[in-house]
Amino acid sequence: MTLFLHAVEQGLIYGLMALGVYVSFRVLAFPDLSVDGTFPLGAAVAAALIIGGWDPFLASLVALGAGMVAGAFTGILATKFRIQGLLAGVLTMIMLYSLNLRIMGRPNLPLLGRPSALTAAMQALHLPPSWGLVLVAACLALGCKLLLDLFFHTELGTAMRATGNNPDMVQALGINPETMVILGLALSNGLVALAGALVAQYSGFADVGMGVGTIVAGLASVIVGEMLLRPRTVLWATAAALLGSCLYRGAILVALRYGGALGFTASDLKLLTALVVLGALVAPAIRARLRGEEA
Amino acid sequence: MILEVCGITKTFSLGLEKVEALRGIDLALTQGEFVTVIGSNGAGKSTLLNVIAGTCRPSRGRVRIAGRDVTRWPAHRRARWIGRVFQDPLRGTAAHMTLAENLALALRKGPRGLGLALSHARRRLLAEALAPLDMGLEGRLNERVAHLSGGERQAVTVLMATLSRPMLLLLDEHTAALDPANADKVLEITERLVKENGITTLMVTHRMDQALRTGSRLIMMHKGRVQLDLRGERKQGFTVDDLVGLFRKVGVTDDELLLGQQPLKEATA
Repeated sequence: MTLFLHAVEQGLIYGLMALGVYVSFRVLAFPDLSVDGTFPLGAAVAAALIIGGWDPFLASLVALGAGMVAGAFTGILATKFRIQGLLAGVLTMIMLYSLNLRIMGRPNLPLLGRPSALTAAMQALHLPPSWGLVLVAACLALGCKLLLDLFFHTELGTAMRATGNNPDMVQALGINPETMVILGLALSNGLVALAGALVAQYSGFADVGMGVGTIVAGLASVIVGEMLLRPRTVLWATAAALLGSCLYRGAILVALRYGGALGFTASDLKLLTALVVLGALVAPAIRARLRGEEA
Repeated sequence: MILEVCGITKTFSLGLEKVEALRGIDLALTQGEFVTVIGSNGAGKSTLLNVIAGTCRPSRGRVRIAGRDVTRWPAHRRARWIGRVFQDPLRGTAAHMTLAENLALALRKGPRGLGLALSHARRRLLAEALAPLDMGLEGRLNERVAHLSGGERQAVTVLMATLSRPMLLLLDEHTAALDPANADKVLEITERLVKENGITTLMVTHRMDQALRTGSRLIMMHKGRVQLDLRGERKQGFTVDDLVGLFRKVGVTDDELLLGQQPLKEATA
């Protein structure tokens, strides 16, 4: 039961990151690797500010803003300077590695005994520690999901969705597709950085290496959620990302607890995650070939 | 003048080879004119449309819309005044979005705000706009556009291109990829929407009969130049045979002409 609660708790907090990856990968069709840098950026900014005596809510908001700036930077590289999307993301990611070290001053910042936005919210609402954190995480994740759903039904949001689907059409309708990509990546990386900030407060430390594989974990969440829910609308797609995130964190917790008996160690996790994503990505092609269609 | 094209040239570099797609085009369209453009393959018709729309920067010359010089404007900025329909029905709509969402995007040109894309009033407005297409699409507003046929998608694209009542409509062989029945239907819809909204139109077509039957003026292009500019009564008196004769005179072979009359799908198969 505690394992289940922890999986949901972590799945919902990391779910903000999955929502961010959904925005770049699915809505904009932009494989954005900057998330590997913006996730620890959010953690670093929030940790440094909290240690500096800032309110944890304010620190988390600043982290979100920092992520948005970094995302917009990748967007500008990819559009205004016409750098390939993958490369633009890698460049931002590498720059952020150095920047994150500067923000933290050292590779690891412990936050034990410091105020956390999640526990502060739980205490303010007088919730019991047993399930209070899950409730706070659920409210936060669902709130972000609903705001995102709402945004994608505004004029600006539909224009952004159309950009990933058909940039020619968007341009012909008087919308600047470049602006949409920059705004979308800012939104995506803002969510990812906020997730990073909350994970740092949840786990009690920020580490410069905590972002490695963020994109793969995010993709795994989005893809697993899609396989289960088969979403046809934005509302279901964002729900799928959150569900996928919970399942993914659950799988990790199970692997960490019982994997040892099967010979797995924690260091095998990234390999297993990548294999899950790989399987989901090649499955359609294999299915098509089995049906005898040309690839 | 709605559109003025002055001394436009466009040279593409293909490795060491230089291809002159446009060699000095001058063209002026007055309010409400419906101009059809024909020409053999490689005559520069599509390049001309791209230069006007802003997706292709000319090597030399100016483009003016309603008196304003837009030569250096990006395509999305000009799009406030220009509606566009491409040959490929898939290029005009976003397949993964619903019919209502696609149409709502076309209601207004220019930057978007945070207002809801679809209200009840807007849905009703869109259903009313769809009804005259006579395809039953007004009852399918919540369906994804991917479920629509090529003819339906192209009809929707024409509606979207005219919904915001642009000053200028650019049609690039927009019926060439459709079967004959759908091609006629889409052309009929186009002519009606253009007439109702009084939109100045430039329509590229491969079919000489279509070019003669449609619109108020006909332009024939060859090797990057305008070879013939027919208006009014002169246009009405012209036949397909007259046009073929003119094409022969400028050195277009019968093979090229025949190829030109086929829908592109078959020509490239």
